[in-house]
Amino acid sequence: MAQQLINGILLGGVYALVGVGMTMIFGIVQLTNLAHGEFIILAAYLSSVISVGLGLSPLLTLIITVPLMFVIGYILQNVLINKLMERGSEPALLVTFGLSIIIQNALLLIFSADANRLIVSFQALSIPLGGMGRIPVLNLVVCLIGIATLFVLNLFLKKTYIGRSIRATSDDKVAAALMGVNVKQTYGIAMGLALATAAIAGTMVGMIYPFYPSTGSGYLIIAFGVVVIGGMGSITGTLVAGFIFGLAQVLGGSNYGLLIGYLVLIVMLAVRPQGLFAK
Amino acid sequence: MNKTKVTKKTGKKILRFGVLVVLIVLLYVLGLAGLFSTNAMRILLNIALYVTLGTMWNLMSGFTGMTSLGQQAFIGIAGYTLCVITSTYNLPFWIGIVLGGLFSAILALLMSMVLFRMRGMYFAIATWVTAEALKTFFTSWKFVKMGAGMSVKARPYPGVSLIYVIALSLSIIAILVVYSLLKSKTGLGLNAMRDDADAASSVGVNIFRSRLLCFVVSGFFTGIAGAIFYLNRGSIFPSGGFGTEWTVAIVFIVIIGGIGTIEGPILGAIIYVALSEYLSKYPGYSMIILGFIAIVVIVALPYGIAGTIERKLNLTVFSTRRTLEG
Repeated sequence: MAQQLINGILLGGVYALVGVGMTMIFGIVQLTNLAHGEFIILAAYLSSVISVGLGLSPLLTLIITVPLMFVIGYILQNVLINKLMERGSEPALLVTFGLSIIIQNALLLIFSADANRLIVSFQALSIPLGGMGRIPVLNLVVCLIGIATLFVLNLFLKKTYIGRSIRATSDDKVAAALMGVNVKQTYGIAMGLALATAAIAGTMVGMIYPFYPSTGSGYLIIAFGVVVIGGMGSITGTLVAGFIFGLAQVLGGSNYGLLIGYLVLIVMLAVRPQGLFAK
Repeated sequence: MNKTKVTKKTGKKILRFGVLVVLIVLLYVLGLAGLFSTNAMRILLNIALYVTLGTMWNLMSGFTGMTSLGQQAFIGIAGYTLCVITSTYNLPFWIGIVLGGLFSAILALLMSMVLFRMRGMYFAIATWVTAEALKTFFTSWKFVKMGAGMSVKARPYPGVSLIYVIALSLSIIAILVVYSLLKSKTGLGLNAMRDDADAASSVGVNIFRSRLLCFVVSGFFTGIAGAIFYLNRGSIFPSGGFGTEWTVAIVFIVIIGGIGTIEGPILGAIIYVALSEYLSKYPGYSMIILGFIAIVVIVALPYGIAGTIERKLNLTVFSTRRTLEG
């Protein structure tokens, strides 16, 4: 039981990271990015290719994948989604759905359906806690990176000029535009940041779990869960939701874990769709 | 209203109606007379099923504003009902199909209790999560043999021509049901609701009842179509029956054809089945190409093919628009 709690909490940090990009886009751009899970898996594959190709540790591949995914997000938002958003949210939603299908099948074509995994040197290490079980070092590192990412992102949104303009746009797009904020540019940066967090999330989940081209939709649902439980655009909420979702899943075991997660999600959607930590 | 103009319009209507009836009769006669090859019949059968699925998604998303991404929940439930009824209880397949539709309708009713509190994207997410949850549940449910899948048992097994006739009839009934639903007073309310739910509610449209009706009708027909699909396929697995691929296909069909039009899903289904037949030569690429086409159409033809034709040439076969002359 103690071991399960430890695992659940450590998983929560990663889940918060999986969800944070989704919650940003939901809160700021007001778009449901149905390709978020696929972007996470895409990043995991990029990380795997770079780490094998250059002989780097998967953690160091982040130096390349994070800026790369930022650029992809920025271009995607500016070239495609901004224009569609003018026609309402549905066309953009369906385009991200199309993107998820394209990415998933392109990965399947290139990498086949076999399981892939990012290997690090401290894979099997763990810290014993006396009679209370053990803390796996890998999961601890991954959880801490997740929390650190959220912390940095929060700081960025609170303290920098770009961060403030992103929050202003999220609160009132017209007022922000009148104050001289370039709304479309801001959306591009927000999408870039969201995909940058997806890049980190991809490497993290790739280190703790095997991944296939089709695992993206599973992470999308986790991201949804985190968004819905935490509330749109709330980073603190995202973290708490990540822990709730991680614990619910670990306590349910391998068979019913996912099912419990889904049920928590549906109940939350029905009872409190604005999330536990809504503004 | 000018009298000659009216008769001209009615004449055109009768002509279109006549062409349609001849086409339908031909589809039946050629099928029953065995003049189609088995392959042609299989393709037409798929088109008919996708027309039904697309029409029912369109009823929700295009006419009511409820975008579901979880239609596979109904397809899977009905497919499994067919298998359980025929192979676990050894009952005839038509009972399986009818019960499949009924269970899907009941599922829709149950889902509505929770899902109807949500709007827009939340509703879309929740339908999808429900389907994924069912997939997970069926993968670990012993009664339906978990992930190993189940098969349909029927002696004698219905031939493809019989299944084709059933599917064709289903698609015609589905279109007629949606058409008459939209032409009714409820339909007027539905359109008002899609455009502005608050305004519609304030002038007396019972939003909850209208939405429920659409959702249950959509669930019922989607289930029946799913059961017929699996009667033709012969076996079902949780990953396929509750697969996201269903929603991909349905969304593609309605978006390409033209959302919010009766003709859209028909055109879309023909294009989808033809494309997937053609692309099956290039396994792996087909879904990527379909995804690209869908994105290009969403960007370039916002109203789909049927919607664009309707706007540019003012040509419709089934108009659900209301005009003064009726």
